Amino acid sequence: MLETLWHWVVDPFQFEFMVKALGVGVLIGAVCAVLSCFVTLKGWSLMGDALAHAVLPGVAIAYLVGAPFVIGAFISGMAAVLLIGWTSARTRLRADAAIGIVFTAFFGLGLVLVSVMPRMAEWVSARFGYLPPLLDIRKVLFGNLLGVADADLIQTAIVGGGALLLALLFRRDLLLFCFDPNHARAIGLNTRWLYGLLLSLLALTIVAALQTIGIVLVVAMLIAPGAIGSLLTDRFDRMLLLATGASVVSCVAGIYASYYLVASTGGCIVFIQALLFMVALALAPRRGLLAQFINRRAQHNAGIIRARRADTQEG
Amino acid sequence: MLEWLIAPFTYPFMQTALGVSVFVGVVCAVLSCYLILKGWSLMGDALAHAVLPGVVFAYLLGLPFAIGAFVSGLACAIAIGWVKRNSRIKEDTAIGLVFTAFVALGLIVISRTPSDVHLTHILYGNVLGIEPGDVLQTLLAGGIALLVVGILRRDLMLFCFDPNHASAIGLNTTLLHYALLALLALTVVAALQAVGVILVIAMLITPGATGYLLTSRFDRMMALAIGAAALACVLGVYASFYLDASTGGCIVVTQALLFFAALLFGPRRGLLAQAIGRRRAQRAAGARSPQRAV
Repeated sequence: MLETLWHWVVDPFQFEFMVKALGVGVLIGAVCAVLSCFVTLKGWSLMGDALAHAVLPGVAIAYLVGAPFVIGAFISGMAAVLLIGWTSARTRLRADAAIGIVFTAFFGLGLVLVSVMPRMAEWVSARFGYLPPLLDIRKVLFGNLLGVADADLIQTAIVGGGALLLALLFRRDLLLFCFDPNHARAIGLNTRWLYGLLLSLLALTIVAALQTIGIVLVVAMLIAPGAIGSLLTDRFDRMLLLATGASVVSCVAGIYASYYLVASTGGCIVFIQALLFMVALALAPRRGLLAQFINRRAQHNAGIIRARRADTQEG
Repeated sequence: MLEWLIAPFTYPFMQTALGVSVFVGVVCAVLSCYLILKGWSLMGDALAHAVLPGVVFAYLLGLPFAIGAFVSGLACAIAIGWVKRNSRIKEDTAIGLVFTAFVALGLIVISRTPSDVHLTHILYGNVLGIEPGDVLQTLLAGGIALLVVGILRRDLMLFCFDPNHASAIGLNTTLLHYALLALLALTVVAALQAVGVILVIAMLITPGATGYLLTSRFDRMMALAIGAAALACVLGVYASFYLDASTGGCIVVTQALLFFAALLFGPRRGLLAQAIGRRRAQRAAGARSPQRAV
């Protein structure tokens, strides 16, 4: 019995690609979890969504000119952020509308570029003698944790590790900036710089997750862990730990699930995260639905007992 | 020139594509005006993504995809409302959490089914290869949405502008809330085959925003939104024909270009008009006080 369980746990890792997937998955899970705590505090869920979609044209162009996709994606994401800021400063539109307009425009442009890419690649190869690799858009959209090429693995590790390090290094300043930007400014922090830093970290994280999780599901990894953490505790350090734990657990469980179910890895990870969120929502120690229900029941009973006592005393 | 304009439409599939995209563009434009007023851009994003598992299940069960998509979209909206009410999670977090869970479920099921031809069509739409049955579903879903908006026009506008006032004068705001969500889901369903899940979001935000930049009156805003969306669809279909590029992508990029044109060149609130107005005001002030001008 124990032996079969052991085989069940270990068997997947006789394949090299599974070992790689596990390593990358845990790294990406940790980076996204740390960022997600700041994102949930700041209310930037939509910004993550927008940045993730806006990288597409940059990736397409990077493929065409033979640059590392990481650089194209980062530039494209930051350009979208600048345009969003400019649009919402210059119009009376709400920020979410400005975000929606800009990121869909970038994504649309990306789709157009991808659809004309075969012809552009021919043109490039005729002109410069360099044949650009074709971009598989499904890989960008949904990632492929089980089929990451070694070169992409290195880019992912460098970018993800860098983002994680920076986020942890500046976590006090970022925390204050997310909670109360006015206070942060009052005590002399440079909030413009922190704003830029948080956006860049967000973009870096998305870039790191691009090849493995894909841009549609990275949004989930940038929201769910922080949300789980905030359900369970009021202290930021604990929230960081809980978020990272939940994220890493879902990545590992998701990789197993996808191996044994032969199903989409990103889908399994995100779905398990959502399940963990529901569990936290139901069973959180003080604020969970069950705890609240028991609490209400206890108060109700206490009320009845008090009323009875009052009755008997009067009687 | 004339030949250049007519050439694409010698193909029947191009005629269908143009008709369907303009129809979808108009339906989305009407809804987008309400969404802009209500500040529900993110909700459009969420519902558009959330139809994925519904479409897949409908496909597996052999039902019309429109039914699956509609049910799935509404389920997502209800789940978002439930999570928001029962936790201290912010609304945008709840939306992001729930819709990505729906997408993940859809992906898992798709990856377990052998044929995934449909996935690319759901994601980016395929208006050039749309089948007659799908055209019918699009027309039906879009037609119903337009009809309901037509009936509830005034109530919905009041609800979006000022829900407190709406409930004070005796409107059922809960009903209107869910009516607007259902309309949104219907519109997403109508647009699904034409432009795909991800670009529906653009069609549900950009036209309304363009109208909003140009006028303060709601009926003019809607007329402008419809005009901008229809124009963008026509131009986008041409661009996609001559560039041999993704139709949905071309339509959305054209819409964004129209938005930024309105932002720069709008008659009164445009950036150019504002700059000219400031310049004139400065010059007028200078003329009034010659000493200062010297």
